Amino acid sequence: MGYHWNWSVFLQPTAAGDGSYLGWLLTGLQWTVSLSLAAWLIALASGTLVGVLRTVPNRWLAGLATAWVELFRNIPLLVQLFIWYFVLPELLPQRLGDAYKQSDPLVQQFLAAMVCLGLFTSARVAEQVRAGIGSLPPGQKNAGLALGLTLPQTYRHVMLPMAFRLILPPLTSEFLNIFKNSAVATTIGLIELSRQAQQLVDYTAQPYEAFIAVTLLYVLINLTVMILMRRLEHRVRVPGFVGGGQ
Amino acid sequence: MIEIKKVGKHYGHFQVLSDCTTAVAQGEVVVVCGPSGSGKSTLIKCVNGLEPFQSGDIVVDGTSLAAPGIDLPRLRARVGMVFQHFELFPHMSIMENLSIAQRKVLGRSADEARERGLKLLDRVGLRTQAEKYPGQLSGGQQQRVAIARALAMDPICMLFDEPTSALDPEMINEVLDVMVELARDGMTMMCVTHEMGFARRVAHRVIFMDQGRIVEDAAKEDFFGTPRSERAQLFLSKILRH
Amino acid sequence: MYEFDWSSIPGALPLLGKGLLVTLEVTLTAIVVGIVWGTLLAVARLGANPLLAGLAAGYVNLFRSVPLVMVILWFYLIVPQLLKAVFGEGIADIRLTSALVAFALFEAAYYSEIIRAGIQSVPRGQVAAGLALGFTPAQTMRLIVLPQAFRNMVPLLLTQAIILFQDTSLVYVIGLSDFFGTAYKVGDRDGRLVELLLFAGAVYFAICFAASQVVRRLQSRGVQ
Repeated sequence: MGYHWNWSVFLQPTAAGDGSYLGWLLTGLQWTVSLSLAAWLIALASGTLVGVLRTVPNRWLAGLATAWVELFRNIPLLVQLFIWYFVLPELLPQRLGDAYKQSDPLVQQFLAAMVCLGLFTSARVAEQVRAGIGSLPPGQKNAGLALGLTLPQTYRHVMLPMAFRLILPPLTSEFLNIFKNSAVATTIGLIELSRQAQQLVDYTAQPYEAFIAVTLLYVLINLTVMILMRRLEHRVRVPGFVGGGQ
Repeated sequence: MIEIKKVGKHYGHFQVLSDCTTAVAQGEVVVVCGPSGSGKSTLIKCVNGLEPFQSGDIVVDGTSLAAPGIDLPRLRARVGMVFQHFELFPHMSIMENLSIAQRKVLGRSADEARERGLKLLDRVGLRTQAEKYPGQLSGGQQQRVAIARALAMDPICMLFDEPTSALDPEMINEVLDVMVELARDGMTMMCVTHEMGFARRVAHRVIFMDQGRIVEDAAKEDFFGTPRSERAQLFLSKILRH
Repeated sequence: MYEFDWSSIPGALPLLGKGLLVTLEVTLTAIVVGIVWGTLLAVARLGANPLLAGLAAGYVNLFRSVPLVMVILWFYLIVPQLLKAVFGEGIADIRLTSALVAFALFEAAYYSEIIRAGIQSVPRGQVAAGLALGFTPAQTMRLIVLPQAFRNMVPLLLTQAIILFQDTSLVYVIGLSDFFGTAYKVGDRDGRLVELLLFAGAVYFAICFAASQVVRRLQSRGVQ
């Protein structure tokens, strides 16, 4: 096809004069990782809360939690992102909205993407947490209560530690998903990996090198996360415990 | 110590308990038996509020369960309970199982809780297993730990919900021995069990339930001598034939 | 306070309808090709040939570790080159073609994982019974194992289809006018982005929520 391969393109100074193209890639990697980690914290915290609420005896709280899950699960991620980024600032009280719109564009992009990804993923985390709690033997809750622990204490010390161990594999794949989904932030201009890949194509006219490099970086992120999670799984393994029963 | 007064409970139209009345005095050991589905497990779970009931009242050491705003965790902390499936917490070591509620509910220090825990493990003969996890113990050992866990809270009475029915036959006696010893030490006990040998050895009274009602409530000697109701006689003959 | 003005939506409905057709075209193509290609990948992975199994595993793992956005961009880059090589010059708009290829090949990786689990859920005794009746391994797979596997997988395959339907909105990155792309363009044109984005969100929600309820009903019927 006559394509002219040139891998040294990454070492060339950028057209914008801010270091090399390799530097661009690393900046992208940095934003991808920090966006994903920040969003994961939000997802884990709110997802756990919502997942727990779906299992409590209070009908209102459980209904609210179900509505949360359905809302964030049935609207495409991209649409949610655009709503956070373009719609919400318009609906905020004037002064707050203006302050947001006048802030650094990078801050706006990061905040919108972080909240969006976090809440989008929280619905999935909540479903896993609920399933984990549901697969515990029902007597565990009673045993905690019978010892005089309050319901929140029983969740905190008895049910959640075991539920999280049970759902570690599906949580790992949600964690991997959040890194992949973070690429959606390219659509609002956040300079994460996918955006940098497109920029490199525009600036260097060496699309294959740029795409291959970025693809490999995503694969690398994937492998790293999997290795870390496998280690975590090993560390929290309960001696003598097999399966979900006793 | 425990007064059960005209307790009734239903799920929709299905009556689980009706008009159950009995009492357990301080230091008394009462065995509750009856066919499956007779409501005996439900009744014992009502005593520490794990099962709500719609009518009547249960009073434990002066505290009424039907009273509005009752502090259930506080009551439960004083009433020990042992479950059919042990329900040890699988992610905690044996020592952590014994100390978690002592620390979180009674506010004891870690050292205090540990000391008390070790003493009780000694009592059930499992001191050497303190650092193991539930999954590494046999069923009989797990149930003995569960008894020690309940005792660590210094309960005023103990509830047993079929404590040996999930055990392999060869492990039943090690658990019953612990319970017999506990009874001889004067613990107030309410035991749902089919172990009639245990009832003969230590029970003061036997309650027989059928279809959500207390059919017979008699001193041990009377119950095993001449049960008055036909259903209790039938039940006993079935159980003894096994 | 923001003042809503929904008046640009009614006039844009025909346009939005066209966009929805594009969305459905991409979704359905990806489902059909994805399931067929995904089944082949799953069978290859479980098969006796280590080379084929390795290649299939590599394909699935590669596609599953790369963001869909990147996959769409990749095929937008590659497909024109291929078409040029095959047909010569003259293909005007390759956005739809490259999106169709990207989604089909990407979804195949996800479908193959579902199908692999489905095949593994069929008891091994079934294979033995098939072989004992004189079927070849290929016949056993096609006539005995796959029909049972697919029956077990229907809810998961449908759930994946709902996710896919949502994901097609990502063709935005190559400027293809699917339902979402159209909504965005109309909103941008009329200065009514807020209304159009909310409208798009509501439409997606209504479709996906209804579909997921149907799947749930199927699932609970399957349990009985």
